[in-house]
Amino acid sequence: MSVLILALVVWLVLWALNVWLAGSALARKGVGKALVPLIFGVAILVLWEGLVRGLEVSFVILPPPSLIAAKIASSLPVLWQDAAQTILKGAIPGFLIGCGAGVLVAILIDRSPFLQRGLLPIGNFVAALPIVGLAPILVMWFGFDWQSKAAVVVAMVFFPMLVNTVAGLQASERMQRDLMATWGASYLQTLVKLRLPAAMPFIFNGLKIASTLALIGAIVAEFFGSPTYGMGFRISTEVGRLGLDMVWAEIAVAALAGSVLYGIVSLIERWVTFWHPSQRH
Amino acid sequence: MTRALPVLTVLIGLIVIWYAAAVWMNSTWVYDQAERAGTTVTFAEMVPQTMSQDRPLLPPPHQVGAELWKGLFGQAITSKRSLVYHGYVTFKGTMMGFGLGIITGVLLAMAIVRFRVMDMSVMPWAIISQTIPIVALAPMIITLSSQLGLSGREVPKAIIAAYLSFFPVLVSMVKGLRSPDQMQLDLLKTYGASDAATFLKLRLPASMPYFFASLKVAVAASLVGTIVGELPTGAIEGLGARMLIGSQFGEPLIMWASLFASAILAGLLILVVGIVERLAQKRMGAPA
Amino acid sequence: MKKLMTAAFLAAMGTSASAEDVKLQLKWVTQAQFAGYYVAQAKGFYEEEGLNVTILPGGPDIAPVTLLQNGEVDVMVDWMPSALAAREKGVPVVNIAQPFAASGMMLTCLAETGIKEPKDFADKTLGVWFFGNEYPFLSWMSQLGLATDGSPGGVTVLKQGFNVDPLLQKQAACISTMTYNEYWQVIDAGIKPEELVTFKYQDMGVATLEDGLYVLEDKLADPAFQETMVKFVRASMKGWKEAEANPDEAAMIVLENDQTGAQTEVHQKRMMGEVAKLTAGSNGALDVAAAEKTVATLLAGGSDPVITKAPEGAWTSAITDKALAN
Repeated sequence: MSVLILALVVWLVLWALNVWLAGSALARKGVGKALVPLIFGVAILVLWEGLVRGLEVSFVILPPPSLIAAKIASSLPVLWQDAAQTILKGAIPGFLIGCGAGVLVAILIDRSPFLQRGLLPIGNFVAALPIVGLAPILVMWFGFDWQSKAAVVVAMVFFPMLVNTVAGLQASERMQRDLMATWGASYLQTLVKLRLPAAMPFIFNGLKIASTLALIGAIVAEFFGSPTYGMGFRISTEVGRLGLDMVWAEIAVAALAGSVLYGIVSLIERWVTFWHPSQRH
Repeated sequence: MTRALPVLTVLIGLIVIWYAAAVWMNSTWVYDQAERAGTTVTFAEMVPQTMSQDRPLLPPPHQVGAELWKGLFGQAITSKRSLVYHGYVTFKGTMMGFGLGIITGVLLAMAIVRFRVMDMSVMPWAIISQTIPIVALAPMIITLSSQLGLSGREVPKAIIAAYLSFFPVLVSMVKGLRSPDQMQLDLLKTYGASDAATFLKLRLPASMPYFFASLKVAVAASLVGTIVGELPTGAIEGLGARMLIGSQFGEPLIMWASLFASAILAGLLILVVGIVERLAQKRMGAPA
Repeated sequence: MKKLMTAAFLAAMGTSASAEDVKLQLKWVTQAQFAGYYVAQAKGFYEEEGLNVTILPGGPDIAPVTLLQNGEVDVMVDWMPSALAAREKGVPVVNIAQPFAASGMMLTCLAETGIKEPKDFADKTLGVWFFGNEYPFLSWMSQLGLATDGSPGGVTVLKQGFNVDPLLQKQAACISTMTYNEYWQVIDAGIKPEELVTFKYQDMGVATLEDGLYVLEDKLADPAFQETMVKFVRASMKGWKEAEANPDEAAMIVLENDQTGAQTEVHQKRMMGEVAKLTAGSNGALDVAAAEKTVATLLAGGSDPVITKAPEGAWTSAITDKALAN
């Protein structure tokens, strides 16, 4: 019980620290901006540890963070092998192919308003569907290895990407396009110099959505058949063996990978669309 | 009509591609069977055989359509074999998750806009929460919620759905609640309006368009969450459970029919939310 | 008379009616594999014993043992390998009855791959179920001296999904099947029995005990709970014998309980016929020799064994002794 009280006290102290930090001058600087969420995360971990140990929750149901951290430290090679299979071979190629295809198709149908009006409602609709349900079918088609995982990812990210790019290509203003026309710019020149740059905020919005979908797709697909490694494989197998510390270790890796992927996309976005109001500080 | 024509053309195009793919993909099986039987088949003999297999690699549209029809209208809607019944189970889960997601999203957004410390500490984690693949968490949520005494499959399903649907609401509401500009806020200050009054009379109304815009995304996310939640939560009822059973018992037609039933459900949900959005906009005096 | 006395005894103990509520967690979805319990319920065998039994189907991501530990269910159907693994992880589950005498697990191979005997597995791809069912396979392979880490001369292992597609699509030379389920899906798909080669784990000497009934050790210390379990096992075994005698009727009862509405009569009737062969040799009492064999098989499980030492007290005959006494 005392463990629980201690954890609650630590939580309150950290929260008070955060309140003070948020009100202080530090909050306007980069350090403060990074420190506050970090402290919040630590506070949650402390509370979790205290709850599990204080209430004597069985580790088979919810392992404490310390145990998960120990598991991560002791099984780095396995975690790396799983991440390489699921993320590097499954999610990333699927993400690149799916997003590339989405942008490409959007540009191809750009010249045909008829096709656009036909594809856009369907694309919008499909983008809202539970594509995850296709996973067992795609595993059947493409086999066990990373190819089927990449295929699921492609199916998941293609339509959000298509819809966002088509919307982006229409984002340039009439006046800007007229100006390009008065300069005698060809279709290709207008596309490359005006409309694609103008579409970038939309394209990056799509890429951000796709970056989280990619991981989900690759992991779900592994539930329906996989080689004997990979994050989805490990999660489903370890749940069966009650190795919940390993399951949480994989979840931590997935969260880290997801955040890194999202972060990379955001960084490139800042670099490419520096001119957009949302990037000005 | 001008809007329907392109969509129809594209749809017909897709169906043609689908048929072609079905012939191509299912042909391997026909040839294999012929080889095992020691006979040969010509192309013309092969095509009809790809159209009515029991477990096709890719069922042609009419087979899926027939199965879907059978599932939707073939029996009383209360029957366990009815897709309407399973669709309703999924719908219920979606609505519970959607409601929970809206409440969580709006409350969090209010706290974030009101308290700086909430903004700084919670917002980054809300973004990170969405990068965690929910499917990895699903089994954990099920064990944990049953540990907390929330037995049954409804609650974990709703939590998973809410986990996906709260985020769009949160992001839009934060944007919406912050949309009044400094001039409007200053004006209210000169009236001597309290925090609560500013919130009720200015911030909340200003956020409504943002709120409704996020609902479409949120309801679709909630449906995905429900179906993901039904896949592993003990395959009992719902469209996700039927997909799983279809996969396990090698009945691809059941799987495809459930997939299309969930597509129909998604379409209906988005349609209804769209209508609600338009009605709300009209009442709030937005230009039609 | 004895029944009456037990009832009187329980009443005297002041046990409330809820003590007679029993929740049973199945290992997998509703199917004829669990027919005995559904039959016992439908025919009122549980009711005759004064029990109110709820049968909960399982699914791919539900480990029955976590629900048992939560106290959400009283008794679960599990395979001995995963039950023993749970025991070693600190969840003290105990086998109280073993309705399945023989294992129904086998490897089914396409004859065209040239596999005739186990040593032909070398350099082939084999589909295996994980989720606790992989241990007998790994132990078999290590006995054959075949590596399972993908090195040359060994076998390539695939985690198989929930169906037989990998064999039909020729992604694997052999896949895991149950005699009562997946094997028939292969046959249904149009492949003839003579085009298949099967290796039953039972015949290969690596069989492990499948569907048994497990409860938590500390709960079993309670005499009232013991008494309830005696009744439960007695009624369940009556259900199993009834199901064996009337397989078609049993299959229909299972079908009525299938909440997904996706199971078919053909499948379930055939499954019941095959399951009956596995339960036929059991009166419910655990064959200790078979249990020890299971332990030996698991301990021989190669580099990453599921259990590291022989378990103690993982099974008891206390319940079945009483249940089968009259």
